[in-house]
Amino acid sequence: MKKSILTTAFALMAGMALAQQPHVYINPGHGGHGSDDRNVVIPPFAAGDTLGFWESNSNLWKGFALQETLRRKGYRTSISRLKNQEANDLNLSTIVALCNSSGADVFYSIHSNASGYGDSHAFNYPMGIYRGYTGQPQVPNSDKLAADLGETLIENQSTVWTNGGRYIIYGDWTFYPDWGLQGLGVLRGNKAVSMLDEGSFHDYYPEAYRLLSHDYDWVEGWNFSIGADRYFGRLDNFDKGVVTGCIRDDRVLREAAYQMVGVDTRVPVDRATVRLLDTNGQEVAVAQTDSLWNGIYLFKYVEPGNYQVEAVGAEHEPMVKPVTVEANATAYCNFDLKKIRNTPPVVLSCSPQWADGDDPLLCNVPVVMQFNWDMDTQSVEQAFTITPQVKGHFTWEDSNYRVTFAPDDAYAANTRYTVTLGAAACHGGGTPMGEDFTITFTTDSRRHLEQLAVFPTQDAQVHLTKLVVEFRTDSLMNPYDLNKHFHVFDSDGNEMTFAMRSVKNNKKSDTFGFIRLPLARDLVPGQDYRLVVDREVADYDGIHIPDTLHIGFHAVDAALQLRDGGEVTPLGGDDVQATLPGGDAWASLARAAGLLGGKALQVKYDFAKTDATSLRVDLGGLQGPSFAQGDTLAVLLQGDMSFNHLVATTADGLDLPLDVIDFNGWKCARARVDWPGNHRVDGFVLQRPDDARVAKQGTAGTLLIDGLARFKRGKHTDIADVQLRGVSVGPNPATDYLVATADALIQAVELVRLDGVTVARNAANYINVTGIPAGVYLMRVHVNGLTSTHKVMVAK
Amino acid sequence: MKHLLLTLLATAALAGAAQQVVVQEHRRLLQGVEGPAYYPALDASGTRLLFTDADACGLKLYDFNDDVTTRITALPGAGMDAFFGGDGKVYYVTQELREHNLVYRTGHAYDVARHTDAVVLDAQHGAVHPVKAMRGAALKGENRSFRAPATMGLTVYTEGSTVVIGRDGRERAYTPVPSHAGYLWASLSPDATRVAFFAAERGICIIDLDGNLLAELGNYEMPAWLNEHYLVAQHATDDGHQFTSSQILLLKDDGSWTHALTQPSSMTMQPTAARGRVVYTTIDGNLFEMTLQIVEP
Repeated sequence: MKKSILTTAFALMAGMALAQQPHVYINPGHGGHGSDDRNVVIPPFAAGDTLGFWESNSNLWKGFALQETLRRKGYRTSISRLKNQEANDLNLSTIVALCNSSGADVFYSIHSNASGYGDSHAFNYPMGIYRGYTGQPQVPNSDKLAADLGETLIENQSTVWTNGGRYIIYGDWTFYPDWGLQGLGVLRGNKAVSMLDEGSFHDYYPEAYRLLSHDYDWVEGWNFSIGADRYFGRLDNFDKGVVTGCIRDDRVLREAAYQMVGVDTRVPVDRATVRLLDTNGQEVAVAQTDSLWNGIYLFKYVEPGNYQVEAVGAEHEPMVKPVTVEANATAYCNFDLKKIRNTPPVVLSCSPQWADGDDPLLCNVPVVMQFNWDMDTQSVEQAFTITPQVKGHFTWEDSNYRVTFAPDDAYAANTRYTVTLGAAACHGGGTPMGEDFTITFTTDSRRHLEQLAVFPTQDAQVHLTKLVVEFRTDSLMNPYDLNKHFHVFDSDGNEMTFAMRSVKNNKKSDTFGFIRLPLARDLVPGQDYRLVVDREVADYDGIHIPDTLHIGFHAVDAALQLRDGGEVTPLGGDDVQATLPGGDAWASLARAAGLLGGKALQVKYDFAKTDATSLRVDLGGLQGPSFAQGDTLAVLLQGDMSFNHLVATTADGLDLPLDVIDFNGWKCARARVDWPGNHRVDGFVLQRPDDARVAKQGTAGTLLIDGLARFKRGKHTDIADVQLRGVSVGPNPATDYLVATADALIQAVELVRLDGVTVARNAANYINVTGIPAGVYLMRVHVNGLTSTHKVMVAK
Repeated sequence: MKHLLLTLLATAALAGAAQQVVVQEHRRLLQGVEGPAYYPALDASGTRLLFTDADACGLKLYDFNDDVTTRITALPGAGMDAFFGGDGKVYYVTQELREHNLVYRTGHAYDVARHTDAVVLDAQHGAVHPVKAMRGAALKGENRSFRAPATMGLTVYTEGSTVVIGRDGRERAYTPVPSHAGYLWASLSPDATRVAFFAAERGICIIDLDGNLLAELGNYEMPAWLNEHYLVAQHATDDGHQFTSSQILLLKDDGSWTHALTQPSSMTMQPTAARGRVVYTTIDGNLFEMTLQIVEP
């Protein structure tokens, strides 16, 4: 009986303790390294390597740490996954149901964020999101849960926050205003006091390296547990602390193309040894940074008190710092280690190597100096002089062991230059060179790669289909990555893509430089576009064009322009008896597909086979319109950028200059009739001018001539069809819902008629199309402030 | 949806040796009457329907016989896992925050015939599991539970990674398949011979009353018995933040046959079923009713 009473009493006490034991549900976000996971490709890991950065990996390590620390602190925990395989990537509604079924008091969904801009932007700050409008959580206290967590996360000093150190908190209905009341999937229907935390930005690459560190992830999980303690009023319930930090070189810069902020610009120290020493100098624990370029170390569960932390690297001098550990708190102790440097700096090698009597050098030759130590960049740049003075810029490589000076523009032609690095130039440890280092060289006569021709030209009206951008230069362009220096943007700033398989550029055997880049998609008539040609377009010697080109042009429907002119007379029909008087040996006539739906007149020619400088096309039997004074003759031409001149002739002997063929694709060319009387077109003359651009283009070409009419103004719509990488829309055709997917969060989608009228808009990633008439639409997907547009069909 | 109906009929006509599914009726429910509705739950007769809002706040009852909707409660959390007991009453759980920010949950029973609501399980900290029973119902809390009546016949619920089957109060927990994250959505077959439940990382499982695994139907969610041999379930995909597709599937209880009742792009979800009637909702809360006839080969 006594035993029974004791057992019952013990059970009751245990039950009471259980009743007061907070229960935390942990959801490490994503999982399985699948399509809904987030992989950031950072060296040395290849794309898809599961050992590289995947959000699911770091989320899981954080979750493990949170589970471990909460259990030590006397919490109950549940966790949605312990592995990172596809089967563990539970559906959103399953996660919600599991949390509800567990009876948890709070729910943490652990994530990291992405700006969607990849390595081109530097965003890194933590953010908490709960369900509801900001300040009005659907589950009461969810805002407090986020605030209590944020207070701890933002204190993380191992990282670099880019927003000044503020924890951002939003309700998901406010943060994603276009989603309406859908919100985040793991919060929808979740009855626990719940939040999703985006701990940092994993597409800020230095942070991605840190997230590879299990120690760094552990600290975030531990900090979550402190947030939970703060929320449940249990901050005094745990008697151990944590020491952690980041070890970096005090001056060597991280050499990478991605964005870096603050101390992240300096290299982390791999494989550094860190010792935790008590006040008597006795070693308490030893840690080591890993070899994954993050510099993170960690001492877990340290007794409160005063300590010293000693850090030393294989190539760095040791450094000791004091640290005070408090119970249930994180002590951050970062190190900036000095590299060991024990001799003065000298220039080991330098280029160019030039002496009197040598051939002059190119006008863009860089000056490169290689040192025996990593150098103090500021002192080197101050000690560097070039005479005559030239504006230029320095780039540092090989961990500041090598500096390159390149002129911003070309050097002056036929000029002797003297370069001196003064004796005051120091290495990273502060020791100067002690004596000057000097070289001289002389430049040759050519400064820039000169542009011969470009299409489109400024303010050109360009037909919407099959635009071929063309650029010609006076010498061969280096074709390596040449296409990357050509960009076409729509009026929203979206860059259009080229049909890369169809890009053509100069070969070594050519006599001048050219590149032809067809656009992958048609233009939208009425829209303004911009062609940008980067200044980096250069020849094989690296001689570039004088400056970046910005060329605005306008998309039109050339056929519509012609039709708006009134009655259209086809020129490629069988009733037109076209001939080439005098040009039979070197030119030919044929019919080819025109722009108006019928046949166009195709004229092939090769001036190299004749002494003639013009070619006449007779149009016998043509019943075209009669032109009076003040009328405008309009003809559809498909140009070959030959720079030939095209003239329309009339039966009564008038020559009406139509256009210079300085374009590719179709164009509605016009000529004003300024003579009294009525005039009928009876042919065309193609004239070859004495023009260097013609000579460079070659002598052969093909011209298509389609309908003939009077000119009227065109019409346009204003919808751009530009798609962002990684965004897709389906199913197509759709009967119920159109759903968009993307690598980043989708803020909203719109369905737009082809005439520009928006018929549906939703703040989520889908649109219900059951009530929308069947037809072709454009679906606009808004992602991170950018818009991707997709042609879709709604079916019934 | 008209397109869907035609598709299904065509599929039925073309199917040779397989089961033929005839959609006898497919219509929008409560259009223009109710706002967005989620988590529908039919009673065993398929004539009464519970539903709630997207956050399970409040609970409403729709009666197919008289086309009347009744508000049972407006309390938060009530709409999640609300169910009809074997006694015809509606059982549901609400929640509130108490000292130290702990969540306390309270069990309620709503008498449909009398339109009365009563607290049957006082507030307690921790989970309160709905227990479905042949007769009556139970709410099993971590500290206290409610049972009505004492002898409920067969009962079933999930707790962690176990499915618990009771026979007149004697409960036994089974783990027929491994699942770290846990089991969910357990229900008795209409003939009370088997149990369907969902095992995370695994999918829908069918077991007998002794816990023996009979079949695995696939990694779908929210199974609901349509009749003795068929179930409906949700098949959804997501990108980690948002749903990217969701459809309703019809499944044979032995795992031998699966049939799509809606397309993945339909964003249809949260099915419930009874006696040939299926009710589901869409991602934006539109309720639909579908009645099915399945012709065996």
